[in-house]
Amino acid sequence: MTDLFIEGVALDASWRDRDRSLTDLIFDAVRAAIDDSGQPLEGIDSVVLAAHDLVDGRSLSSMVTAPAAAAYLRDEIRYGDDGAGAFAAAMTRLEAGHNRRTIVAGWGRASEHDVDAVSHGLFDPFFGRPVGLDELAVSALRAQAWIQRHGTAGRDAAWRRRRERAARNPRAVTQSGVQQSAPYPLRPEELPVWADFAVAVVMSTEPAGVKVAGMGQSSDPYHLGDRDLVGMPALVDAAGKALADAGAALSDVEVVELDALTGFDEALAVEALGLAEPGSAFGYLAEHDSVNPSGGCAAGYCAPAMGLARIVEATLQLRGTAGPVQQDAPRRALATGSSTIGSQTQTAIVLEAA
Amino acid sequence: MAADQDLITDVTDVEPVEIPGRWDFAFTYFAGNAASRFFAEIRENRRVMGTRCPKCRRLLVPARSFCDACFERTTEWVPVSNEGTLETFTIITAAFPGLPEPPVVLAYVTLDGADTALVNVVTGVDCSDIDAAAARLFEQPRVRLSFVAEPQGRMTDFSFVLAD
Repeated sequence: MTDLFIEGVALDASWRDRDRSLTDLIFDAVRAAIDDSGQPLEGIDSVVLAAHDLVDGRSLSSMVTAPAAAAYLRDEIRYGDDGAGAFAAAMTRLEAGHNRRTIVAGWGRASEHDVDAVSHGLFDPFFGRPVGLDELAVSALRAQAWIQRHGTAGRDAAWRRRRERAARNPRAVTQSGVQQSAPYPLRPEELPVWADFAVAVVMSTEPAGVKVAGMGQSSDPYHLGDRDLVGMPALVDAAGKALADAGAALSDVEVVELDALTGFDEALAVEALGLAEPGSAFGYLAEHDSVNPSGGCAAGYCAPAMGLARIVEATLQLRGTAGPVQQDAPRRALATGSSTIGSQTQTAIVLEAA
Repeated sequence: MAADQDLITDVTDVEPVEIPGRWDFAFTYFAGNAASRFFAEIRENRRVMGTRCPKCRRLLVPARSFCDACFERTTEWVPVSNEGTLETFTIITAAFPGLPEPPVVLAYVTLDGADTALVNVVTGVDCSDIDAAAARLFEQPRVRLSFVAEPQGRMTDFSFVLAD
C-alpha cells in the first residue's frame, strides 16, 4: 500500500469577519496550508472538498468555492459530508495512484446562516422534521439515555477542564456567536461554540513529518429509533478499522481528537471508544488533556469542517507545534469526524509522527 | 494607463457589503408505498404498524420497505401495541416555526411488540417546572398513543401521553 503523508495544514476559525467573504476564508486557509507544505502550487494535482449546500446557502456551492481552494485546472471532487470523510476519499485516490498530491479543504460558516433552521432542515420530511427533531435534540436524547444509566457525577469538572483547554488554544473561537437554548438535559456550557471555519490539509505520497497510518469509516442506521444512542456503534466500527489499518491498538494512541457536536456527545464517544469505562467519561475527561487537547467543540464548531479540524489539531500535536495545548511529544494520534443527523456516519484517521 | 496615484492597494478602508438571502423553494417529497401505508394505518385505523425483517426478524417501526442492517426487503406487516415504554427524552425550550410552543417533550419510545423506537412528542406533561417534569420522565414511564381528532396521515397525528 502507498504510504501517505501530511505536508501542510491550516485552520482558520473566526466569527462574522465582515472583511472576508466565504471564498476569502477558503482561500486564506488553503493558501496557508500550501505555504505550510513548502510545496509549489504546480506540484499539487487535485482537490477534495467537504461542503454542504445547505450550510453554505449556495446551490452547487463548490462551483462557487472550488476555485478558492485552488481547483483551477485541477482534478476536483466534492464530498457532501464531513471533512474527515473528504480526507478519507483523498486517501483512496492517492493510494490508487490517481493523484500524487492533494488539497483537502472543508468549511462551514455559522455566522452566515440560521444554525437552528439548518439543523432542523437536515432531517427527513416524513418522520424527523414534523416532530421537531434537530441535532441538539438528538444529542439531548442521547445524553438523557446515558444519565439514566449513570447519573451526572463529575460533569462540571469535565466541562471546566474542557473550557480551560479551549481557552489556551490559540486557534479557538471560545465565545459562541449564536445563543441557543439548551434542550434538557444539556446545559449551555455543553452546547457547541458556533464559529466560521475553513480548514485545509495538503496530503502527499512523498515522505513528510506526519504519516497517515490508518483509516476507517462506518455508518449507523438512518432511523434514530433503530440506533444504539449511547453505544455509538458506527464510531466504534470506524475507529476499530482505522486502528487495524494502522496495526495499532487504542492503548498505542497518545492523543485523541474527537468530533462531537456537544460536550455530552464527546463524553459518550470517549466511552464508546473504550477510553473510559461505562459511566466514567466525566472523570476521565476531567483528568485527561490528551482527549481533545484543542478543546473540541468548545473551541468552535461548524459542520462539515470539524473532522478535518480534528485532523489538523492532531497533526499539530504530532509535529509538536500545537502551542499552549501541546501534549508531551505524542507519536500516534486518532482523529474522528462525524456527519450530521446525529453523527450517522463516522470516519476515523490514525496519524503517526514519521 | 492609470497613473500610479490611481492604483488601489488597500481595500480595507471600505464598508463591507452584506446581502440578505433566503431559500424558500417548494418541494414535493414522495413517501413511497411503505411510509404511505404506515401513515394510512394511522389515519384510517389509528394504529402503528411495523414491518418485519425476514432475516433478523426484528419488527421495524416505523414500517419501512427494507431492513438497512440486513439489506433485505420487508414483507410482513404487523401492528404494534398502542402502549410502550419511554426510554429517553429531551425537553425543548426553544421555539421553532411550525412546531408546538415550547416547552416540548420529545421522547424515544419503544411500543410493545416493536424492536425499534419511535421519536415523537409527549403531550400532557406539566412542564411548568422543567426539573419536576424531567424527574417524572426519568422513571421511564409507560406511555400510550393519543391521536388527534382528525388524522391527516402524518407523524403529527399522534403523540405519546403518560399511561398512568
